[in-house]
Amino acid sequence: MHNLLWLQGASCGGDTISFLNSEQPSALSSFEVLDINLLWHPFLSRAQGDDVLNIFEDILSGKTKLDILILEGAIPNGPDNSGKFFMFHGRPFRDWLADFCKHAEMVMSVGTCAAFGGVVTGHENINEMSGLQFLHNQKGGLLGSEFISKNGLPVVNVPGCPSHPDWIVETMTALLKGWLDMDGLDEFHRPKVFFSKLAHHGCPRNEYYEFKASAVGYSQQGCLFEFLGCKGTLCESDCNERLWLGRTGSCTRGGFPCIACTSPLFPDKQRPYFSTRKIGDVPVTLPLDVPKAWFVGISGMSKLACPERLKKNAVSFKWIS
Amino acid sequence: MAKLIAIDPFNRLEGDLRIELEIDANTVISAKSSGIMFRGFERIMPGRSPMDALVITPRICGICSGSHGVAAAKCLAQAQGAEMPENGFHMKNLILGIEVVMSHLSHYYLLFAPDLTSPRYKKLRVYESVNQRFTAMSGSSVVLALKARQSALEIMGLVGGKWPNSLAIHPTGTTSTINLSSLTRTIGILNEFRDFLEKRFLGCALSEWLDIDSFDKLLEWQSNPQHGESDLGLFLTMCLEAGLDRIGKGPNRYISYGAYDLPDGSTWLPAGYFDGRTQPFDQSLIKEHIGASFFRDAVEARHPLDGVTSPLADKTGAYSWAKAPRYDGKTVEVGPLARMIIAGDPLLTDMVRQTDSSVMTRMFARLREMCRLTKEMSNWLERINPAEPFYAVPSSRFTSNGIGLTEAARGSLGHWMKISSNLIDNYQVVTPSAWNMSPRDENGQPGPVEQALTGVSVSDINDPVEVNHIIRSFDPCMSCTVH
Repeated sequence: MHNLLWLQGASCGGDTISFLNSEQPSALSSFEVLDINLLWHPFLSRAQGDDVLNIFEDILSGKTKLDILILEGAIPNGPDNSGKFFMFHGRPFRDWLADFCKHAEMVMSVGTCAAFGGVVTGHENINEMSGLQFLHNQKGGLLGSEFISKNGLPVVNVPGCPSHPDWIVETMTALLKGWLDMDGLDEFHRPKVFFSKLAHHGCPRNEYYEFKASAVGYSQQGCLFEFLGCKGTLCESDCNERLWLGRTGSCTRGGFPCIACTSPLFPDKQRPYFSTRKIGDVPVTLPLDVPKAWFVGISGMSKLACPERLKKNAVSFKWIS
Repeated sequence: MAKLIAIDPFNRLEGDLRIELEIDANTVISAKSSGIMFRGFERIMPGRSPMDALVITPRICGICSGSHGVAAAKCLAQAQGAEMPENGFHMKNLILGIEVVMSHLSHYYLLFAPDLTSPRYKKLRVYESVNQRFTAMSGSSVVLALKARQSALEIMGLVGGKWPNSLAIHPTGTTSTINLSSLTRTIGILNEFRDFLEKRFLGCALSEWLDIDSFDKLLEWQSNPQHGESDLGLFLTMCLEAGLDRIGKGPNRYISYGAYDLPDGSTWLPAGYFDGRTQPFDQSLIKEHIGASFFRDAVEARHPLDGVTSPLADKTGAYSWAKAPRYDGKTVEVGPLARMIIAGDPLLTDMVRQTDSSVMTRMFARLREMCRLTKEMSNWLERINPAEPFYAVPSSRFTSNGIGLTEAARGSLGHWMKISSNLIDNYQVVTPSAWNMSPRDENGQPGPVEQALTGVSVSDINDPVEVNHIIRSFDPCMSCTVH
């Protein structure tokens, strides 16, 4: 039996809502199949008030073993690094959290906020939020760059705004089965198995991308990369292969651009969201491993080679056969 | 001798709440509702491109991201002078509708119903069935409802791409379209969800339940065992036996901004202010007070367009990170009960007339709306013409301020945006739970939940189940409240 404590910092609760969308196993049965005993979850558990405090105290006294700690939401440090922006039972939430991390066998952050600070760090982070072990792409955060939990791993980051339910359940699985080691994590401590692909992979607009047949306005079928701000070629996630909500959708399938919400630099460094920043004619959001000169050459040629069928459909909201 | 007790943390709701009660002779004589966190979204907005509101503001709330998206898009549409093709209206309503239905379903099964399993109710004859069905996270109905929710949310993937935080809703329509295949699949999923409601939740056809137009007819409906043993029938029995029809009286003043815009300029749910009778609603009468809130300002109350969000954690006398919105200086209740009363729903109007506002009426309004919306979504879907456009080309200039008003699951949601040189100058959000969960205002008037708790008799201070029911009947979202 593995004891799980799930906490929410400066959170919208969206990662819990996303977790509840899990299909196989469902969120509730994931606890059963992974032999998890949920000590407390702020949205799901019956315990409230002093009962929660008792659960907390038993963890801190060592009476209850804390196998896995999950944090959702950023950590409020303000104002002036006092932690008073979130007082949990009269004590800064971040102090509770730091104590729990010392006791936890494994620590996992769910969502971009808990991992890197996320949306609430927008506007130069005037509200002094941070992630558990990162602030944006810089190591540190609440726990510091050297933090290692009892199982020998740093905080395992499962970002996304929200995080995909599969990423959450599968990371819990890998952690509890001992399948995850440092080689399985990227430089931002994200499991490579989900975050070494690009949101671009599997996008149904890829043929349009190949021939640079671009949509010029939303709700058109063409590629959203050239004009409409899509970051799918930079965003490290497997969204378009995995798909969301019963494998029915993704951002680009919904007709809107990927905004790279799994990135440590979300939200401010991903702007503008709805148009493409370019140097000359070349989008700055090229995949990092594509040489720019080649891209310019190839895209010029592919535009010339673009079939009529794609040119027409790229700017149409419905299929023209 | 009055005793002060705190329920901290008070969770099994969205976000974090602290409740403080002054209790004398087992009766609550005053209550304080505190949002215990500052998230600061309003401070993130100034200086941004107005379109950023579509990305940033939905992230205020994980349960009602789509509603914030709708409010932001309406705000931008006003600032741009944008027009939307007919399909855009129906798609937007479908996204908002499915979000609200799923929120009501999760609220009932995951958040509210577990309190019904309190040992306090051991003597009630429905206790065993209630426990078997509604125990937190494992009750038989809870498991089925979550499964139904997960399947129904596939509609959100088909019409919204992903959720939470779809970006499909724009000021001039939706980026998503629908084709023969996604249309057919959506019809099938809606049908399956209606089947869940009919078999498990109602024990009868959806249309039969929606035809019930008075409290007497509801009681008559319940006397048929097939209905009485459904999840809703069981809940009605529980309400009457446990006295949930007698606690949780709200201010009996309600507002609704109106929602589900239709192409002819009307809304499916009307706007209004109800104070004994329904009157026109006027957003200029809204002011947010900060007397008991951790904010500093030279003035005590402002209209949201001129709102200021300047945190002050050590403010004397303050106890919440929520501001206190008031309508014409008065506390008002928002949410499904407000919407059903203002829309003149015959069942809810009659229930409130006969039993007053209470935990029961508030819950029945929510569940009634869930059923009404499920039916209406099929109508919107039918009106979508896949051969016609979903989106119109917008203007890139934002020439005026914007006001975006809509109804989220929990009640009236408003976004107010001031524009300067095509950039956001000020952005203020007033959420449903800011209305319901608000602290005292500059005149010392308690917020609606604080009022609803006052006077309630608590038979066991260590298990204040009456307090739990009252607070959760408002379905608070503290994440939204402390945005």
